[in-house]
Order: sequence, then structure tokens, then C-alpha cells
Amino acid sequence: MTYRTPRRAALLLAALVPAAVVAGLALGRADAPKGAALPVNPRVLEAEKQRVAVIEKVKPAVVALFAPGFTNGGSGVLISPDGFALTNFHVVAATGPVFKSGLPDGKLYDSVLVGLDKVGDVALVKLLPKKEGDKFPFAPLGDSDKVQAGDWSLAMGNPFLLATDFTPTVTFGLVSGTHRYQYPAGTLLEYTDCIQIDTSINPGNSGGPLFNMNGELIGINGRGSFEKRGRVNSGVGYAISINQIKNFMGQLRSGLDTDHASLGASVESESEEGALSKVIVKSIIECDARRRGLDVGDQLWSFAGRPVTTVNQYKNVLGLYPKGWRVPIEYRRELENKSVEKKQALVRLMGVQRQELEDKTNAPKPPPGPAAPQRPVPDSPAKKLYEAKAGFANFYFNKQERDRLLGELRKYGGDFTKVQGDWDLSTSGRLYAGGNKGKFIAADLAVKDKGAKDGKNDRVVALLDGLDYSLEPLNQNEKDTAFKDPPESGGLLTAFYHYRQLLAFGMKGGEISHGGTEPLYLPPAPGSTGRVDYAQQRIETEVLRTRFAGIDGKWYFSTKDGSRGQLLAFEVTPERDEDPCEVYLSDYQKVEDKMLPQRIEVRQGDKTYAVLTAKTWKLSPAK
Amino acid sequence: MKLLRVAAAVAVLGLAAGTGRAEESFAQVAEAVNKKLVKLFGAGGIRGLASYGTGVVISRDGYVLTINSHILDTQDLRCHMYDGTRYHCKVVCAEPELDVALVKIGRDKEKIELDEDQFFDVVAAAKRPLAEPGTGILAFSNQFQIATRDEPMSIQRGVIASYGKLYGRLGIFEATYRGDVYVLDAITNNPGAGGGVITTRKGELLGLIGRELRNELTNTWINYAMPFSAKIDVRQPDDKVVTTAILDLVEKKDKYKPVPKAKVEGGGGYTGIVLVPNVVERTPPYVEEVDPNSPAAKAALKPDDLIVYVNGLPVVDINTYHEIMARFRPDTEVKLEIQRGNKLSTVSIKVEKPKGGPKKVAPKKETD
Repeated sequence: MTYRTPRRAALLLAALVPAAVVAGLALGRADAPKGAALPVNPRVLEAEKQRVAVIEKVKPAVVALFAPGFTNGGSGVLISPDGFALTNFHVVAATGPVFKSGLPDGKLYDSVLVGLDKVGDVALVKLLPKKEGDKFPFAPLGDSDKVQAGDWSLAMGNPFLLATDFTPTVTFGLVSGTHRYQYPAGTLLEYTDCIQIDTSINPGNSGGPLFNMNGELIGINGRGSFEKRGRVNSGVGYAISINQIKNFMGQLRSGLDTDHASLGASVESESEEGALSKVIVKSIIECDARRRGLDVGDQLWSFAGRPVTTVNQYKNVLGLYPKGWRVPIEYRRELENKSVEKKQALVRLMGVQRQELEDKTNAPKPPPGPAAPQRPVPDSPAKKLYEAKAGFANFYFNKQERDRLLGELRKYGGDFTKVQGDWDLSTSGRLYAGGNKGKFIAADLAVKDKGAKDGKNDRVVALLDGLDYSLEPLNQNEKDTAFKDPPESGGLLTAFYHYRQLLAFGMKGGEISHGGTEPLYLPPAPGSTGRVDYAQQRIETEVLRTRFAGIDGKWYFSTKDGSRGQLLAFEVTPERDEDPCEVYLSDYQKVEDKMLPQRIEVRQGDKTYAVLTAKTWKLSPAK
Repeated sequence: MKLLRVAAAVAVLGLAAGTGRAEESFAQVAEAVNKKLVKLFGAGGIRGLASYGTGVVISRDGYVLTINSHILDTQDLRCHMYDGTRYHCKVVCAEPELDVALVKIGRDKEKIELDEDQFFDVVAAAKRPLAEPGTGILAFSNQFQIATRDEPMSIQRGVIASYGKLYGRLGIFEATYRGDVYVLDAITNNPGAGGGVITTRKGELLGLIGRELRNELTNTWINYAMPFSAKIDVRQPDDKVVTTAILDLVEKKDKYKPVPKAKVEGGGGYTGIVLVPNVVERTPPYVEEVDPNSPAAKAALKPDDLIVYVNGLPVVDINTYHEIMARFRPDTEVKLEIQRGNKLSTVSIKVEKPKGGPKKVAPKKETD
């Protein structure tokens, strides 16, 4: 609900306002009580006082966004002292990437788009302080899962762009429902797990905050059920829940044009009759969920820890996660003897916008979805903070985050730029692939600087359980299987090569971008078959995405203070539709002046390939 | 010991009131009321007509009150209970004059036994004194079909604005129920809200949310609910007036027969004006014929007169003419502005009782 001021309506408003004021005054006089004021229940007065106090507290953080020329705009809310603010995608689609924002202090601030979640209708923007280091007021984030139907709420924003001094309009009403699912408007804009309110929201309120009565941000207002009245409040508005936005925050902060997730399977209610029925997998495409064992006819039991009782509930919970995240699922399968087998899996979610399926070539493509109309970026100090690039909302912020994370990697692990030559790793460990149950093996991995047959490029070699492997990653004629060797590892040689590329060459090794935040699930003990409590295995990480020698890699870094920049795991995907080679790194120790992992666990799909313990790391300077 | 425990409880409550938020949440009320409502699904789904609605459970054996809407006009009426259980339902009885219907959960002979907290005592609700204007209310319904299966109803808040007679219309038709209603400031006039309930802020049952009507006079949408004590006087063909009430349906169930009603063909009545055939989309309302001795004849209307305004309202085509004329009851004086040749003139005619069989009403137009 962005709001465009129709010129005629604006004139009309201008004409109406004095009339309204006069009428109001007249009424006031006529109705003024002659005697003493009516007694008012002290609880009512107390409630009013509290409400006013909450409004006063949060008001300074409410943003009024304007498109260049002030013809169009919406609302937003500051969430950090350095000027990051949330709004709707459909608001910034109208303002463009560089625009101005008004705050209730009466000042206009130069502003720039940071990150986008088009499907979820969310955008992150940044206001530039008037003076370097100036702090903005901001709203604390609440917990939208604690919101209940029947709770009071406050919506703030700039409906009909009424406020010329940027003082927000406040409306007060009930939460009418929670965990609501609203079908996509058009093709994408889907509101999942959203908060339904009877608090008035109108065109121009879009992107503005919904607060609980403690003044915590619980949602971003953005949509209403409109029908016969046109696009004005119908008593039914929707806010995107803040908990959903929290999952996307890392992606938004790193300037991504992020995508929502799809499981790759469609589900339906088994029966429409009687009590709540099972939710059954109706069809499934070739995807990670299928590779993890999910099949047509299985009953989806829980998704990311939430029970799945209806199709809407499933869509709600699916909508909470960004593409590429892994979530635990539980499902049930009826066996031939009618017994039911309980199964669980950790599933990698694919995108909604199907970039992963379409983008097989590396050709740059315009971002999918309703793109903002092309127009010149206006001259503004915020223009310096904007860089367009396909797949990104604003590549400038991605570079900032990427360079910071690369810096943290160097700070934690040491400087590898002096060791761009041979890398030799000698290990012993246990092999689980090929039907082995932890067979004791020796494994040596090496990247040979200029070791390829042409004498120019690198060669990766491995001697593993007595077998030799070799890979020339840059050789155009290299066999596909070599990238995935050794068998069942998913591509350990490729992984080792990528590891050296990232550490020793960094930005010179290929393309690197920041990938936002993701949970990493540490693998269960090798060979164990019991139920895994994934919630216990989960670690919050920051992600780098790389493309070295034409192969994608993803790197998970610790976000814990004290171990920031520690590489916890990475994966490489030599074959897009197959499971990647996952490498989990731990037991870091100082080797000379560098931190190196002593325990290396290699996995593909649901299986451990091997767990290796480093005996020697030998990293040499370039020849 | 007992005394002590009471004292402790009081102390705790006191604390809660002292430090708790003054803006109390209605979450518990919402949960309790939601258990007593059903989502109804039936006929509709075409031409902008919703195929969903709301109902309120009023007995342990699964009787449900709702409004007498088009969604009931099907063999395949279904409901979803608060816990997601789905049932077939059937209409037990309906009273168009009250615009209320009674529905039974379950197929024929299917025995339903609900828990104590799954139905309202509608008789007790009807006996309670009417709520005063200014009373805070909560409204519960499945408007816009936001909820299915076990998803809870939408809750809204508002205030009773007034209590009075309903003058509503549905498209160009006069609404059937013209009894007393609560007028609300909550926006309940939405698809699917009809058959929902309003309660006090404590969850006590007050009224049944009505259908999507417009105010006859202002043409604006009315948010209203009928009290459960609602009753209406109906003039029967023999000119006897009988009173029927929502509680009559509740009490008699399948023995309830709709009250036969003397034929009054809506509003409008007879003017004696015969217009040209309504052949094109916007046929101008030219007079074709004037019945002799009719009100129109008395006002000296003539063929080829063009009717331009009715009571100051512009009449752009024949449909609009019928729509406006349908609002007048017999014995009303109506001012017609007519164009004869190049001259405009105003005539006054008195609408009479309709003559003969059912009057043909212009087809229902999409007014929105």
C-alpha cells in the first residue's frame, strides 16, 4: 500500500482541512460540559497514560519514505542506531534505490536501499546520519510468536502521506489473528505466518511498524483484505511477523535480493472429511528433499520443528525461511505391513523464484520478479552507497559485509597470502564410505602449484586408503568424475582445492560474495543411526559464497565472539543436482602463525565419508 | 487454611492488577468464543458471491444459528469446527423475514455430542437486557475466509453505536429483516462475516452479525448485529399479523415453518409509467406508455417524456430508474424531473400499491 497523491485529491484535502478544523471547533464549544467533568474509571486513565507513554517512546523511530519528487511514498521503522530501517518491498519499488526519508524530528535524511525480500514484501534501507557517528533512535524487536489474537497493538506510519512534518499517524486496535496465511498477490508477494489486525492501516501505512503495547516491534504492516470499499481500511490488515524477518535479516544486511524457500514437494490434505487429516506429499521434483528420502505418499509430520496439521500451516512455516537454508523435517511412511516408519531428515531448501533451476549457466540475468522501473538514480550523498548488480539489491553493502568477513577470517586464521604454493596435508582417520564402518586409513591430500600437465595450472592429488586420485581443476578436458572423486565423498579433491583458493588467494581466487546468515547443523556422530535432535546441533553462522574454477562453494563462519571468522564448515557442489561435498572443520590449532583445523569430517548427503585427523599441514610459498 | 488460601489468591490478583498492563489482552476471551463458532462453506463462489460464512453453535447436539444467506442453498453444506474437524451440515429451518437460519452439524441422524465449552446458551443470551450504546464489544467471524479447518476466527473490537431499526438494502432490493439491530463501529460488513457473533468484552453473547447491507438512505455499508431476542411482525396474506422470533426457530427446530407473508413486492409500487424496452446497456428512461387513471396519468406524463431526475437523483438509464424507484413505498410522493422536447419540468406523483402479480424487477446489477 504505497500511496500516490492524486493532485486533485491533494487540492481537495487542502480545501477540506480548514473546514474540518472549523467544524471541530464549533462542535467542541457546543458539546463542552457545563458542570463538573464526568468521573472516569482510574483504570481507563491509567491505560491511556501507558498508551501515550509507549507511543512517545517508539514514535521517534518511525520513518516516512518518499520517492524522488514526493509523489509517492510509504512508511518504515528504524531498527538500529546506525540507521537501518525496515519497510516493504512494494514501497521501495516505488521510491527507487536512492530516496529521502523523514523522521519525526522534522528532518529529511538521504536514504538508500540495502536488501530485498521480494516474496516476503520486505526491504531493508539505510538512513544516512546528518553527521558521521550520529545515532538514530530505533525500535527494539519483539517476539512475534508470543503475540496472540486479542492482544492490543499500535500501528504507526504515514497513511495518505498526511504528515508533512513526518509525525506519524497512530492507530490502535486488536490483533485479529496470528499465523495467518495469505495467498500470493500477483505471482510472488506471499504473506506467510503473518499477523492479522483490525488496527486501521491505509495506503501509505505500508512498511510501517506494528508494535505491541510494550513498544516492541512485532511486525511490518503491508497488506489488507480489500474488496468493495477500495483500497482503504476494511478492518482486516496484515503485518509481516518480525520473527520471519529476523530469519532474513542477515540476507538483507548483506545487500542480497533474497529469495524464499520451496521444499520441492507439493502437499495436500489426505482427506477433507472428519478430524484433521494427514498432510501427504502429492508430488515431488528432483530436489534435496527427494534425495533425503521424502517420497510421494509420505505424511509430512513436522517442518523446522513445527507440527504440520494443515496445508496452510505448512505454507506458513515454509514461508519463514530463506532459500538455501537447511531445516529438519519429520515424516512418516506406511510400510507394506501397515506399520508406520518414523523418519527424519535435514533438508536443503530450494528457491521459490527458481533461480537455482534456471540459472545453470553463469550468464548474468536480470533479477526475477516485479522489478522496479528503470530510472536514473537521483543525485544524493546516498548514491555513493549504491551499486546495482544482478542478484543483489545493493552490491555495495554486500562488498562491505564480504570484506568485513574476509577480514575476520584473516584475523582468526592468520595471513595465508604468503603460502600460495604447494599445500600438503597428511592425515590418518576412519573411512565410512564403501560399506566401511570406520576402517582405519591413511589419507594424504595435496595441491601441487603448477603441477598440471601443462605446467601452468594447479593439480590436486590424493592418496586415500591406498588409492591414488588426481584432479586438474582448471583443465577444460578434465573428466567430470574427477571433480567428484573420491567416490561417495562428493568431491573432496575439489573441496581441498577450494579451501586453498579461499585462504591463500581470497578475492584473487575467483568470485566471492557474502551470503547472509544461515544455521549450520553439526553432523551427528559418524555411523550413528538414532534420532538426531537437530535443535541441539544448530549453530548460527555467517556465509560466504564462492565460485572457483566454475564450481560453487559455500562457507560457514562462526558468529560467536572470540571465534569470529573461524571457518566451521564448507561445501562444494561440482554437480548442481547432486549432493555437495561437505567438510566440517574443528579442533583448530596454531601451526606456525596460522590456525588450522586438526579434525576434518567429510560428508555427502546423509552419510559420513571419512573423519580425518591432521598429522601435518605443510603450506609452501609460491614457486 | 481455606481462609489463608483465599487471602493468598486475592493478594496475587491484586498484584496482577497493580503491575499488569492496563491494556488487557482478549486472548482468553477469543479462545473461548472461538470454540463455539463454526466456519461454514456452501454455495457461491461465482459473480463475487462468497461461498463461506460463519455460524454460532447453540446446543450440545450441534445446532448452529447463522444468517439466511445464499451459501445455505446447497446439498453440500460443510462446516469446520474450532479443532479442524469437518462435518457435513444441513439446514433445519430458515426464516427470511428474520434473515436467520438454523443449521444442524452432521449428516442425517448423525449424532453429535459437543463439550460444555463448545456452544452458547442462546436462550440466556436472548433474555439478557439489551446492551446500551457505548458498550465495548468484540466481533468474531470468518470474514474473507481467512481461517479454514483449525485456524481461529478473526477477532475485532468496537463499540455499540446505536440500537434501532434496520433499513438496509441488498443491491437494489430491500433487505428482508427490518427489525431492531445493534449498529457497530467495528467493520464487520465484510464477505463471510455474516453469522458471526458480537460479545461483550468479557465474551458474553450479544448478537448475530448480519449480512452485507447498505443503508437505504446514505448508501453506505452498515455494520450491524441482531440481538438474539430479535423478533419481527409479519403481515400474513389474510392480513393477520404474527410475530416470529429467533428463539422460535431455536425452539421448534425442524418443526418451524416460515411465516407466510402477504405479497408486497418490495418497495416501488405502482406509478403507471411504462418505459421503452430496456434493450441496450444504458437505455435512457423514455416513457413509452402511461396507464390511464394511473398516478402518472394524473401527473400528466406523456409518451416520449424522458425522466432525468427522481427526487433529485440523476437517472442515467432504465436500470438506475428501477433501482431508485424500488426504494419508495406505496403512498410516497416522488418528484420526477422530466424533459419534454427541449423543456425541463418537475411533476409530482404519488406511488400506489402494486397491482396484479409480482412486479418485474430489473436484474441485479453489480453495484460495486
